Amino acid sequence: MSEPILVPIEMDQSWRYAATAAMARFCEGLKECRIEALRCEGCGRRYLPPRPVCGNCHLLLRDWVPVRDEGRLAAWTVVHVPILDARSGRTREAPYGMGLIRLDGADTTLNHYVAEHDPSRLAIGLRVRAVWRERLEGAIDDILHFEVLR
Amino acid sequence: MTLGSLRRPVFVCGLGETGVVAEDPRSIAEMVLQAVQAAYADAGCTHADVDAVVSASIDLLDGLTASNIAVTEVVDAVMKPETRISADGLAAALHAAAQIAAGSYDTVLVVAHAKASMADYEALTRWALDPIHLQPLGVDFLACAGLQARMLAEDDTGAARRWAEIAATRRREGSSAFSGQCSADEILASPLVAAPLRAGMCAPLGDAACAVVLSVQGRRTPVRLAGLGWDLEAHSLGDRDLSRWDGLARAFGRACGAAGIGTGVPVFDLAEPSCLYPHEEELFRKATGFGGETLISPEGGLFPGTAPVVAGLSRLAAAARRMREGGAKRALAHGAWGPAGQGQAVAVLEAQP
Amino acid sequence: MNPVAVIGTGQTRHARARDDASQPELVREAAARALDDAGIRPRDIDAVVIANMELFEGRAWPELWVGEAAFAAGKPCLKVATGGTSGTSGCIAGFHQVASGLFDIVLVVGFEKHSEGHTQTGMTLTDPYWDRAVASGAVGNFALSVSQYMAERGVTELQAAQVAVKARRNATRNPHAHLQMPAITVEEVLASRPLAHPLRLLDMCPQSDGACAIVVASGDKARKLNPRPAWVKATATRHEQPYIGDIDRRLITMRTLRDAAREAYASAGIREPLKELDVAEIYEPVSYAELAWYEALGFCAEGEAGRLIEDGVTEMDGELPVNPSGGVLSTNPVGASGVIRVAEAALQIHGRGGDRQVEGARTALATGYGVYAWADVIVLADRP
Repeated sequence: MSEPILVPIEMDQSWRYAATAAMARFCEGLKECRIEALRCEGCGRRYLPPRPVCGNCHLLLRDWVPVRDEGRLAAWTVVHVPILDARSGRTREAPYGMGLIRLDGADTTLNHYVAEHDPSRLAIGLRVRAVWRERLEGAIDDILHFEVLR
Repeated sequence: MTLGSLRRPVFVCGLGETGVVAEDPRSIAEMVLQAVQAAYADAGCTHADVDAVVSASIDLLDGLTASNIAVTEVVDAVMKPETRISADGLAAALHAAAQIAAGSYDTVLVVAHAKASMADYEALTRWALDPIHLQPLGVDFLACAGLQARMLAEDDTGAARRWAEIAATRRREGSSAFSGQCSADEILASPLVAAPLRAGMCAPLGDAACAVVLSVQGRRTPVRLAGLGWDLEAHSLGDRDLSRWDGLARAFGRACGAAGIGTGVPVFDLAEPSCLYPHEEELFRKATGFGGETLISPEGGLFPGTAPVVAGLSRLAAAARRMREGGAKRALAHGAWGPAGQGQAVAVLEAQP
Repeated sequence: MNPVAVIGTGQTRHARARDDASQPELVREAAARALDDAGIRPRDIDAVVIANMELFEGRAWPELWVGEAAFAAGKPCLKVATGGTSGTSGCIAGFHQVASGLFDIVLVVGFEKHSEGHTQTGMTLTDPYWDRAVASGAVGNFALSVSQYMAERGVTELQAAQVAVKARRNATRNPHAHLQMPAITVEEVLASRPLAHPLRLLDMCPQSDGACAIVVASGDKARKLNPRPAWVKATATRHEQPYIGDIDRRLITMRTLRDAAREAYASAGIREPLKELDVAEIYEPVSYAELAWYEALGFCAEGEAGRLIEDGVTEMDGELPVNPSGGVLSTNPVGASGVIRVAEAALQIHGRGGDRQVEGARTALATGYGVYAWADVIVLADRP
């Protein structure tokens, strides 16, 4: 039997994604370090990210509420696989912390980096606060990571 | 009950569309939300009446894995059954009809969306072609259409003129700002895009979303989805007889069988085919046998503008709309996907007394 | 749903890289075996459903290229794609198509060739405006949910390691399974490379190349072709909100799986799953997930999942063997994994389980998992 032939093909494509009106407003707010959620008039849940409809109540979301840039860890982990930080072009060296953060004023949690990579120093319930980058572009990674408030 | 028929009736109850534009500035979620809300309003129902959702979208076009995740909330599929058929939207409607006939659900929402404007659509179609023999050559769907058109035009000197006239007629009937109007001469003077196809012979691709509510209960609609059929031809163009759309002929035969339509040429007053190019309309007529007694694409078909994936579902909507107005008793809606129409789907619609 | 049954199954040899076969050849390998198992010929197939997460291989409309390998040329063929649940969705689509009255026999083939893809395309399972910049990938996402699950339900790393060992030991009796680790121990799992705390390499499912096919038939045909058809008693599907942050306490609540199971059990007349199910093939992407699924599926009360694995209740000689095949933890070609669950559940009822046969299996459960919390639940039994 002959050797299998491998045909290499490279994909070089780009896509232009349109944000929802809610996400666009949210992203604008980030340029001023402002975080807002949308509150469902049915169940009262305050959604991050903001989106057109509450999937549970089937209601359009219209009620904007302010959210602080600090909150509590609802979940955490320490990741051992290095990842490229697209903004800086540098690698985020492993290990690095990640968490689900329930910001004060929101009911859903935000998946983001946590500046702590020792598992013995991470726990559910710890208070964390956003550390913002110097240059804000209106994207969720305007927040560099969350620092643990001790 | 003959083999191949739907065990329960399926009715087309609600229709909703954004319409096609060259570039919709909104997100896919908001476009789909508009179409879904319009379909509910048209059906006189709410999300609570819908048992399941069938989505049609293509991950590569949306640049999103499991692309229906972007619309789950706006199609009211949270804590509901949802599935995704990744082919033309008409195929999704046929699958929804099968679900209803199976007795699993009574009312199913079918949704299709795509935004040709968000990426290089034709370049993306290369990723559907055999990556060993075809893709490295840079073959895309347009090139395949060109190859099929070339085969048809080979001994047919009048083909180009005829196609230009078909395209001009369809644009005139559709009179959309998106596609514009031009004469057959202007079309014949337009640049070649995949010889012998010229720019003016191609239905323009844009952005759209479409939603249809199908149900076992007729509600207030006179349109029944009486028969359905779909087919997949061989992939390599060299394995197919490109002078015909055999897959469509088979799908059509299955659909007529499912609808219990007898032998001989069944009489359809109306057909809404998904033809991106005029030569495809001739292939459609050949495969179905439709002649002068069938009104084909009275509103211009895809020529006023179309979006991938949405095309076939929008044909179903167009046919159903006309039938409600008393414009036809029996219609065929058609969708196609893949190189030179490798995949084909049809639905037989019948007006209820 | 009108009565339909699974009458045959087939799968490939699953492996990290099947360099000896193209994607269509993988599909053909599984499809041909399923036809043999069902005792039918290609012309007996009325329609085909393909399940595959095409973006993982960077493709679009993959059924166009691989359809012929699934004997679909000249036949009705559609492709289903719903993330990890693609396989179970595809099987359910096949059930619907046969039950509809349109077809007597439908072939469902799920496949994935991860070795021909790029992990980057998996990263596009995120909203480009939200989590694409901050996503930690599947491992990180699970690890986050696991931290909550451990804190609230008290499961331990040791219990999770026991799940990981059970899976790979079961896989040694499955000639198709990708990972073959006959000497695996909990110590080895606990010492394996950390990926995202507390998940270690051996807590995670592999990425595999492979395909799996089932043959679905209508009532009369099923009886003619298989002496013990695996009848579809119930199917249920639930989708969820789109962001991981929406699904708080995901493993703890898993409302989609819980509710789908409730509906499926009700349809199948099952009140005590641990007693009434003879075997279960559940979709467990990580070891901890299996524990969470024990609770969501009602095999035990909340907080008891650890006890279930410790007491050997879900081992091959336990009251309810879970994943005799080795599960997703041993074999994971994403588009096929859901079909494998259904196929493995069906072949238990067929009595064709070989070394992994659960004696006298009459009622089987198969589940699918995908995206963050999409769920499918299917109940098969030896009577309609």
